[in-house]
Amino acid sequence: MKTKKWLMTGTAMLLVIGLLAGCSGNNANQNNTDGSTNAEGGNKTNAKAVELTFWGDWGGEGQAQFETMVDVFNKSQTKIHVKYVLQQDMITKFLTAATSGGSPDILFWDRWRTSLYAPKNVLHPINEYLERDGISRDDYYEESLKELSLDGNLYGLPLTVDARALFYNKKLLAEAGVEPPKTWDELADAAAKLTKWNGNKLEVAGFSLGDVGLFNMYLQQAGGQMLTEDGKTNFNNDQGKQVLQYWDRMLNQDKVYKVGFEQGLGEGQDAFVTGKLAMQYTGPWMLSTYKKYGKDLDFGIVPPPAGPNGDKASVMGGFGLVIPEGAKHKEESWEFIKWWLANKDNALLWAKTSLNIPGYKPALEDPFFKDDPFWQPFMETLEFAKVRPNHPGYSVMEGDALTPNLQLFQQNKQSIEDTLKKAQDQGDKLLQDNLEVK
Amino acid sequence: MASVRKLERHQARTAYLFITPTMLLFLVFTVIPVIMALYLSFTNYDVLSRKDWVGFDNYRRLLDDQLLWVTFKNVFLYAVIFVPFNIIISLALGILMNRAWRGVKLFRTLNYLPTLTSSVAAATVWIWLLHPEFGLVNGLLSYMGITGPAWVAQTETAMLSIIMVTLWQSVGSNMIIYLAGLQGVPDYLYESARLDGATKVDCFRFITWPQLRPTTFLVSTLSIIGALQLFDQAFVLTQGGPANVTKTPVYLIYQQGFNQLQMGYASAQAFVLAIAILIFSIINMRITKAEESVI
Repeated sequence: MKTKKWLMTGTAMLLVIGLLAGCSGNNANQNNTDGSTNAEGGNKTNAKAVELTFWGDWGGEGQAQFETMVDVFNKSQTKIHVKYVLQQDMITKFLTAATSGGSPDILFWDRWRTSLYAPKNVLHPINEYLERDGISRDDYYEESLKELSLDGNLYGLPLTVDARALFYNKKLLAEAGVEPPKTWDELADAAAKLTKWNGNKLEVAGFSLGDVGLFNMYLQQAGGQMLTEDGKTNFNNDQGKQVLQYWDRMLNQDKVYKVGFEQGLGEGQDAFVTGKLAMQYTGPWMLSTYKKYGKDLDFGIVPPPAGPNGDKASVMGGFGLVIPEGAKHKEESWEFIKWWLANKDNALLWAKTSLNIPGYKPALEDPFFKDDPFWQPFMETLEFAKVRPNHPGYSVMEGDALTPNLQLFQQNKQSIEDTLKKAQDQGDKLLQDNLEVK
Repeated sequence: MASVRKLERHQARTAYLFITPTMLLFLVFTVIPVIMALYLSFTNYDVLSRKDWVGFDNYRRLLDDQLLWVTFKNVFLYAVIFVPFNIIISLALGILMNRAWRGVKLFRTLNYLPTLTSSVAAATVWIWLLHPEFGLVNGLLSYMGITGPAWVAQTETAMLSIIMVTLWQSVGSNMIIYLAGLQGVPDYLYESARLDGATKVDCFRFITWPQLRPTTFLVSTLSIIGALQLFDQAFVLTQGGPANVTKTPVYLIYQQGFNQLQMGYASAQAFVLAIAILIFSIINMRITKAEESVI
C-alpha cells in the first residue's frame, strides 16, 4: 500500500518536471504542420518563382499590413513569391526551426534581441549585400543600425523606429494655464498645477510615473549612461541620484501621481483618454488609438523635456527584418528586404499602411510625416534618441534588479542610496551571469 | 480453478491493452523529456549553438542565485496561506452544497463557474476589480469609510491579491471533489452515530473528516503542486512585481530558458523546483497519514 502512495507522488513529480521539456515537444509538432502547409502553397503558384517564407508574430491588423506589402511585392515581379506566415510565440518556434531545417527565409525581428542571437550564428550578416548594392548607411538612424549590429557585422535593416515623447491633454493644460514643458523644472511645475485631489482620492494625475522602466531615459536626460564601456551598471552615481530626487519631488512632495493609478486599465479606460491623466510619456504606437477619440481627446505631443544641464534623451526601439542563417534563399530574401526597406516609395507605403515611422529616412521627407503635428515631435525626438545598450543581459538586469528596487523606492520603502546601491549590486551580477552567449 | 485463473489472465491482458496508449504517451512526452532535462541540466545547452557538459556548474550557480531563492520564498509563503484556505473553503462549500435544498444545483454551478474561466481572462477582470481608484473592491471599501490600497501595485497586498484570485478560481473544482467524497460516506454510519446520541459536530469530527481523508489528501497534494507552480495569474496580475514579491520559480525558469536561452541552467532550476515539490508532497503525506490506504 505504501508503494502506491510513493508511485502517486512520483508520478506527480514527473508531471512537474515535464513542464519545461513538454513545451519544446509541442513546438516541434507545430513546425511539422507548418512545413506541410507551406509545401502545398508552393504548388499553387508559378513553378519558376522562388518561394519565400516570411515569419512574423503580428496578427490581426498587423498581419493585414504585412500582407499588403507582400502582395505589392509579389505583383511587382515574377521571380520571387513571398508568403507571410503568422507565428504566435514566434521566437520559441524560431529556436527549434533554426536548427532543424525548417527555418523561415525572412524573420520579423525585435531589434534588441540581436545581441543575444547574433553570437549564436543563427542570423546572416548582410554587410556584403549592403555594399554590393550601394545602399548608404546614412539613410538609416545610426542608432537603429547599431542595435542590429555586433562585432562589425550588420544583421538586418530597420523596419520601424520609435521613441517616447511627452503626450499632453490640451484641454487640461489650457484650464490650468500651463504651456507644454521643455525642461524638468517646467514639467514638475506643470504636473503639480494639473493634479487634482479630492481628499484621499486622486482625481486627475498631473503626470504619469507609473513606468519605472523609463529610468533609462531620465538617466540620460540627467547626463548619465546605463552601462559603462566594460558592461557594468553605471547609475549608482550623481546622475542616478538626480533622477530619483526628481521622482521623489513629483511623487512625494508635489504628489502628482499615485502608485498603481493606471495599472490594469484597458484601452477604453485608459487614464489619458478619460482625462484622468494630464501628461505621460508614450510612443507613436498610441497615436492611432488616441486619434480615434477625435474631439473628445484633444492632445498634443512635445519631445521629452531636457534635464538639468540641458541634456535631451529618449530611448529608441523598433523592429527590423533579418535573414536567418538557415534560410535557403538568402539572395532572394535580401531582394525582398531591399525592396521594402531601402526604397522610398515602398517604405512610405509601409508607413502609411501601418502608421509606423519607417526605418528608412528618405521616406520621412514626405509631407505625411514632416508637416504632421503628431509625427513631427517624434521626428525631432528620434534625432537624439539612443537605443538600449547592446548587452545580452541588459533586459534581465533592468527587469529583475533595477525595476524591483525602483518600485520599492516609489513606495517609500527604500532610500535613494539603498535603491541605487542594491540595484547596482544585483544588476552587476545579472549582467555577469548573462554575459556569456557564445 | 483453472478457468478462474484463465479469466484473470484474460482480464489482465485487456487491462494492459487499455493502459498501453496512455503509458506510451506518458513515456514519450513525460518520462523521456524528464530524463533529457536532467541530462541538459549538466550542460550549457542553448538550443542553437552549444551543448557541452559542464558538470555541476549549473547547480553551483543556483546556490548563488539570490533571485531564485526569493521566488521560492514567494511561492512558499503563497502555499502556506493558499493550501489551508483552499481546503477549508472548498470543504465548507462541499458540505453546504451536499444538502438537498431546492436550487442547490444552481448554486453548485455558480460555485464551479470561476474554474471554467480561463485563468488569464479571470485575472484580467480582477485587475479592474482591484483598481485603486475605480475598482469595485475599493469602491465597496470606501462606502465603509476605508481607503483601499493599490492592491496589485503595493508590496504588502500584491501577494494577497493573487491568493484571493487563485482561491476564487480553484475552490470550485475542489468543491466538486469534496462533494463526491461526501456522497461516498455511507449513511449508516451517521444513523448509528445518531442512535448513540452523537451531535452534528461529533458526526463531522468522527465520521465525515476521517472518511474524507483520501479526498483531503488528493486536494491538498494537488493544491501544493499547483501552488508551487504558480505562474499565469501572477504573471497577468502583477508581472512578478512590485519589487519581485510575486515573482515565482516557474516565471524565472521560463525567462532563463526561453528569453535568455540558458536551457541548461533553466533545467537545473526546474529540477530544484521538482525536488521542492517532492519534499512538500512527502510532508503532506505524513500530515494526512491514514491508518488505511488513501488510494
